[in-house]
This record gives sequence, C-alpha cells and structure tokens, in this order.
Amino acid sequence: MSLFKEVKSLIRKDIVLEWRSKYAINGIVLYVVSTVFVCYQAFKSVDPTTWNALFWIILLFASVNAINKSFVQESRSRQFYYYTIASAKAIILSKIVYNMLMMLLLSSIAYLVYSIIFSTPLGDPILYLIAVSLGGIGFAAVFTMVSAISAKAGNNSTLMAILSFPIIIPLLLVLIKVSKNAMDGLERSISYDELTVLAAINILTVAISLLLFPYLWRD
Amino acid sequence: MKKYWWKILGIILLIYSIIMGLLGHVPALPIVHETIRNVYFHVPMWFTMFTLYIVSVVYSIKYLSSANPQHDFVAVESVNVGIIFCIFGLLSGMLWANFTWGAPWPNDPKLNGSAIATLMYLAYLVLRNALEEEQKRARISAIYNIFAFPIMIALMYILPKTTDSLHPGAGGNSGFGQFDLDGSMKAVLYPASLGWILIGIWLMTLRFRIRKLEYQNHTATL
Amino acid sequence: MKKTILFLLLVINGLMCSFAQSNTGVEMATGLRSSGKIYVVVAVLVVLFLGLAVYLFTIDRKLARLEKQQKR
Repeated sequence: MSLFKEVKSLIRKDIVLEWRSKYAINGIVLYVVSTVFVCYQAFKSVDPTTWNALFWIILLFASVNAINKSFVQESRSRQFYYYTIASAKAIILSKIVYNMLMMLLLSSIAYLVYSIIFSTPLGDPILYLIAVSLGGIGFAAVFTMVSAISAKAGNNSTLMAILSFPIIIPLLLVLIKVSKNAMDGLERSISYDELTVLAAINILTVAISLLLFPYLWRD
Repeated sequence: MKKYWWKILGIILLIYSIIMGLLGHVPALPIVHETIRNVYFHVPMWFTMFTLYIVSVVYSIKYLSSANPQHDFVAVESVNVGIIFCIFGLLSGMLWANFTWGAPWPNDPKLNGSAIATLMYLAYLVLRNALEEEQKRARISAIYNIFAFPIMIALMYILPKTTDSLHPGAGGNSGFGQFDLDGSMKAVLYPASLGWILIGIWLMTLRFRIRKLEYQNHTATL
Repeated sequence: MKKTILFLLLVINGLMCSFAQSNTGVEMATGLRSSGKIYVVVAVLVVLFLGLAVYLFTIDRKLARLEKQQKR
C-alpha cells in the first residue's frame, strides 16, 4: 500500500514539475510537428508502406528525445533526497508510469498531426490507434530503464541511442507489422498473436526494470 | 593439476564430427544436395553462441549479488567469445545461403534477428568502454546485460516462429527431422554441437585467465 | 523483363528437377566418394583441426605456468 502511495505522489510531483515549465512537452510537440512537416515537404505523397515506416521512425526519435531527459533533469542533490525518502522500486515505477502517460499523449498528438497533414486511407483506424498506444507504452517501458543506465554512465545521448536501438528493434518490427495489418484493414484475429507478443514484451520489460533498478540506484 | 578431460572430449567430438560429417550418410534433397552437411558446422555455431550468452547472463546475475570482480570477467569474456561465434555463424550462413537461397542476405527474420543481437552485445561492449571506474562499470554493464537478454530471446527464438522464414522449423516450414528418418544426421549434429560448445567454453576460460592475470598484475603494481 | 527471366529460370529449374528425379533422384557428389578422393579432404581437415587443438593446448599450458608464477 505504501509503495502505491509513494508511486502516486512521485507521479504527481513529475506532472506538477512538467506543468510548471511545460518545457519538455512543448519541445517534443514542436519536434514532432516540424519533423512531420519536413517529411511532408520532402515526400508530398507516399505509398502506405513508407507512410507507416515514416510514422514509426518519427515516433521513435521523438520518444528517445523525450525520455532521454527523465533521469538527468534533476540535480544530484535532489536525487539523493529522493533516495532517502522513497524506495527504488517506487521511483522506477513512477518514472515508467509517468513516461507511459507522456508517451500516450505524445503518440496521440503525433498520430493526429501526421494523419491530418499526410492523409492516407486507413482500413482499421481503431486497431491502428491501439497499435500506436501500445507502441507508446512499450517505448516508455524500454527507454526509461535504458535512460537510467545511460544517466549513470555519464549521460551522453549517443550512448543512449547505441544502448536502446538494438533493444527497441524487436518491438518496432512487431509494431510495424500490426500497424500494417491495420492499414490494410485485415481481419482483427490475424493481429491477435502480435498484440499478445507486444503486451508480453511490455510486461516483461517492466518486471525486469523493477528487479534491476534497485542495483542501479544504490550508489 | 588442472583437469583436461573435457577439453580432450571436445576435440574428439569435433574430429568425429569432421569425419562423420563428410563421410556419413545424408538424405538426398533437392536444392541443398551435399551442402546439407553444412548443418553439422553452421548450426553448432549458434548453439555455442547461445550457450556463451547464457553463461554471461548467469554470471552477470551472480555479480550483482556477490560484487566479485571475477564473475564480471567471466561475463565479459563470454560475450567476447560469443560475438566471435556469432560472426562465424553469420559468415558461414551467408556463404551457404548464397548457394542455396540465391543471395547472401535474404530477408529472413532469423538473419535479421541475429544481426540485431550482435549489435546488442556490441553495445554492451561500448557501454563497458564508456565507464572508467571498475566497480561501476561491472555493475552497470551487468544490469544492461540482464536487461537485454530476454529481448534477445524474443528476437531470435519467438519472433521468427510467427513470421515466414527460409530456415527449417519456422513459419510453417518443416524441421529437419522429417528428412532425417533414420536419425543418422542427429547422431552427428548433437556430438558436433557439444564439441563446439566445449571448445567455446575453453576459449572463454583462456581469455578469462588472461584477464585475471592482467588484473592481478595491475593491482600488484599499484 | 526481370519477371520473364525469373519465369524462364523457374521453368528450366522445374524441368531439370523433374528430369533429375525421373532418372536417379537428387544428384549427390557420388563421384568424389567412389573414387576415394573424399578421404583426402577428410584427412586434411582432421590434420588442420588437430594442429589448432595442439596450439590451443600449448596456450593453455603456458597460461597455467604464468598463473603458478603469479602465485609465488
């Protein structure tokens, strides 16, 4: 029960901090919109496969940039303060949940902007939206732990990219497959296998993060 | 005195696999013809790589609970030797694919998966180089190793099962068991795999001992 | 153009396959075996591999000696 309470107050703290400055979310939204616009200017019109791949690449880079900062924006002394008042599990759980919420918001904004500027007929928009939100959650789960690792390793953003891209590729492959199914408007039962794999990877990453983060945190 | 019996066993098994692999009876199949014998040499590379990565992750877990630097040495040297076997597997597979599937890199999920897994372990080595302090390096890289391992399993063993693949035993293709009716191929493949695994572990222990000596020298001069 | 070439190749391949199967089944390298030359290849590979194994053993022994020195 106390873990749940700790997580809740930590998430509230993160949201309040973000709401005061609105720095991260504005920057990322601007990043997404400008990337989409550049792609639109460069391509004008694309075939569905490229459309799909382009969307996931934009979302991938946006989420790396968004989550990269989650452990370095706070000063060392403040982290030490958290260390004394909250357990490591509560901290990683709160970060993961907060990043998931942010990624849900971000990916729906990206999807909205992308489909307005770059309209393409979608066979099954609801399934596509499910794939996008599952993808956002998965990105958040994987990148939060990797950003914690790279923050401990001197937090340069190249290291973050090197560490996270090989890990994210399996997730990305499944996501691209599901979203392609959704674009073509295939029967939903075809995608159930992939959706289960996605959910399994998400649960697995969160569980391993919970187990490993205490070792990373004690310093 | 050190025990050498398992090293000798590995060598004997490999000599057996070379002799029986070239002279033994194989099923006559279209397209692959005699190259089916590559199974005895290409597949064991992957088994060895996989065994070494398992050893690595086990020792990473051990390191996190013990903080003994020797466990970290075993973990990193397993990854080093595992990457060598992975490269061997990729190269031999590319050569073989060039003759049977018509291209060195057909778009096959197993190929892509193992290439990405190589990237993952190269990233592990880059992470080690980025950290200066020894204990911190050992701990953080152990954490990354454990974090990446289940995703590598998903990448190489679960995803290829659900998608179409040229490899046997994946995506609706039948495994080799169907052609190998009298089990003559199994009688070579399994000893060959065991032999290569033993040799891989031998190489790992050699590298581990070198690293341990270097470490002891380093701490002695300080 | 590409498709026609591919189609032609497929047809030729199919013809060859059916031709081969109607005669003696799948063609294997039986010539190398019956003339006994395959044993040469096997012998060469075994010698090469044994050489490598002996080399590995010498490295192993050398390391053991160094470890003993270190202990003293």
